[in-house]
Amino acid sequence: MSNTERRDVAVPAVLKGRVAWIFGDDFDIDLVIGVKNIKSYDPVHLKSVCMTAYDTDFIRDVRPGDIIVGGRNFGYGHPHYPAMIALRNAGITAVIAESFAPGYWRGEIYQGMPLVTVRGIADAVSRWDDIEVDWRAARVTLPATGKVLEGNPLSAHAIDVIEAGGGFNLLLKEHGPQARSRRDTSFSTNA
Amino acid sequence: MGSTITEKILARAGGLEIARAGENAPFRPDYMIAYDFPGYTDVMFKQMADDFGISKVDDPQRYVLFIDHMTTRGGEREETIHKVTRDWGRTNGVEVHEGKGIGHQVAAELGYALPGKFLVHFDGHISGLGAFGALGWGVRKDLLEAWVTGAVYLDVPASSRFQLEGRFGPGVDNRDLIHHIIAEIGADGCAHQVMEYAGPGAEAMTIDRRQGLCAMAMFTGAVSAIFNPDELSLAYANRVARAEFEPLYSDPDAEYVAKYTIDLDALSPQVVLPGSAKSSNTHPVEDLVGTPIQHAYIGSCASGRIEEIRAAAGILKGKKVAHGVRLNVVPTSERIYQQAEDEGLLTILAEAGAHVAKSSCDFCVGYASPLQPGDKCISTGVLNISGRMGSTDAEIYMGSAYTVAASALAGKIADPREVVEL
Repeated sequence: MSNTERRDVAVPAVLKGRVAWIFGDDFDIDLVIGVKNIKSYDPVHLKSVCMTAYDTDFIRDVRPGDIIVGGRNFGYGHPHYPAMIALRNAGITAVIAESFAPGYWRGEIYQGMPLVTVRGIADAVSRWDDIEVDWRAARVTLPATGKVLEGNPLSAHAIDVIEAGGGFNLLLKEHGPQARSRRDTSFSTNA
Repeated sequence: MGSTITEKILARAGGLEIARAGENAPFRPDYMIAYDFPGYTDVMFKQMADDFGISKVDDPQRYVLFIDHMTTRGGEREETIHKVTRDWGRTNGVEVHEGKGIGHQVAAELGYALPGKFLVHFDGHISGLGAFGALGWGVRKDLLEAWVTGAVYLDVPASSRFQLEGRFGPGVDNRDLIHHIIAEIGADGCAHQVMEYAGPGAEAMTIDRRQGLCAMAMFTGAVSAIFNPDELSLAYANRVARAEFEPLYSDPDAEYVAKYTIDLDALSPQVVLPGSAKSSNTHPVEDLVGTPIQHAYIGSCASGRIEEIRAAAGILKGKKVAHGVRLNVVPTSERIYQQAEDEGLLTILAEAGAHVAKSSCDFCVGYASPLQPGDKCISTGVLNISGRMGSTDAEIYMGSAYTVAASALAGKIADPREVVEL
């Protein structure tokens, strides 16, 4: 919880990148960095261990804007934040999965990461395929084939959270001192 | 179409006429609970003051703090962490419960978990309070939203109904039931839903068993679990209530994603392989009998109830824990510790060579009595991922208190039905 991120860059309406990795069902996100490292918040260390169990060249090959794909129940287990911090630092901008585990879902939406639930995604893509994601509408386009996959759109609130750059930023925007003083000015008779 | 108990609790908490599964809205919890932990509560206290200008909360009776982690080593670091919590509680008029045991269960003893109430925590094992017809939901970092605004945005969950028939046989309990359910429906079998337990087997189940069962809901992907209030839970609630409450019940025509029927008599002891509680890791004890262990643990927010202490004492009475095995028994609350002492159970356990400790979360997370590389442990703790109870090179099996006690006695994983008191 100590590493709340404050991001000022807006998330593009359509994310364009490549499929950097495809995980299987019930994937425990801690394995991205290995259980020995789940309490590390050191970006240099996290970078050095990120995905090395799967592909030692991952950090070299991944580009900003790439996304990762998961199977069913992505984020299962007892997800810790550093694994996704490592992936985010590596340039990953969204996760598309068949379905998400609730704890992971809530934790990462709070962090402002677009999570998109799309049935059939894991079988529809191969590694390094180009991919375009309209994350608000949960619509995935694969430019190579023109194939379009439709998923379950996010709630309006989840979209607000992601647009704000995470739950903390949204809370700050709506309930921070500036929001309060704006309200106090508008409704001064209530004071 | 009727409503589930979960929909009704959330409708009330959201000030809505009706709450339907799938709807997203802000809901006002009756209680917003946390245990103090570095990087969590200390950060939240600071954010409340520095980022949101809240130097004193408006309705302090809705905030609840427990000191139950990092209580066993003493020393300056622990003292520093807990002092921050005590100070914040004092400044804000918020109750801080310290030395009473594991908050997820003590919350019931202290009268927070009342039928119809909605409670949030950052930690998902708060679902155990569903035993009382309350809805406990672990909202992770969104607890800050609740603390700042008094409400938290949630998707109203659908429910699956588990109709329980029969009774647990000797040496079988709620722990075997939850692992049986996970094995049957999968680690996402109830994803984003609430598990609702009903039927004669649920009504006959003791409060202890209900708490342990509900506390493990997250391992089916559920956001919580709940029993409808009945004579047993209402009697408990009336005894401990710290506030008025109005029970809510599922309508007979409420809609469920799925309905399952489980015969408790047919259940057998289940053991979970190291790694996680997923289906493929869950085995009948017979498959693993004989696996050597060096460490055994009875306790956690999903265990350590008086019935489990009795189960362990029943198996170990007049016998000795196997040479080379360390058995830690940690009653889940101070009150249960006292009760176990009064019943003579702690003496029986101590004479058998078990280490009995005051209630704390520390054993489940490897902060107290950590596993060493190469250790194999059998545990009633809530997690068995690598490194959870100490070394990442140790292995954690999970099972019921019966199975843990029988295994500690044998020095290897054992079938408790062969040694349980009838």
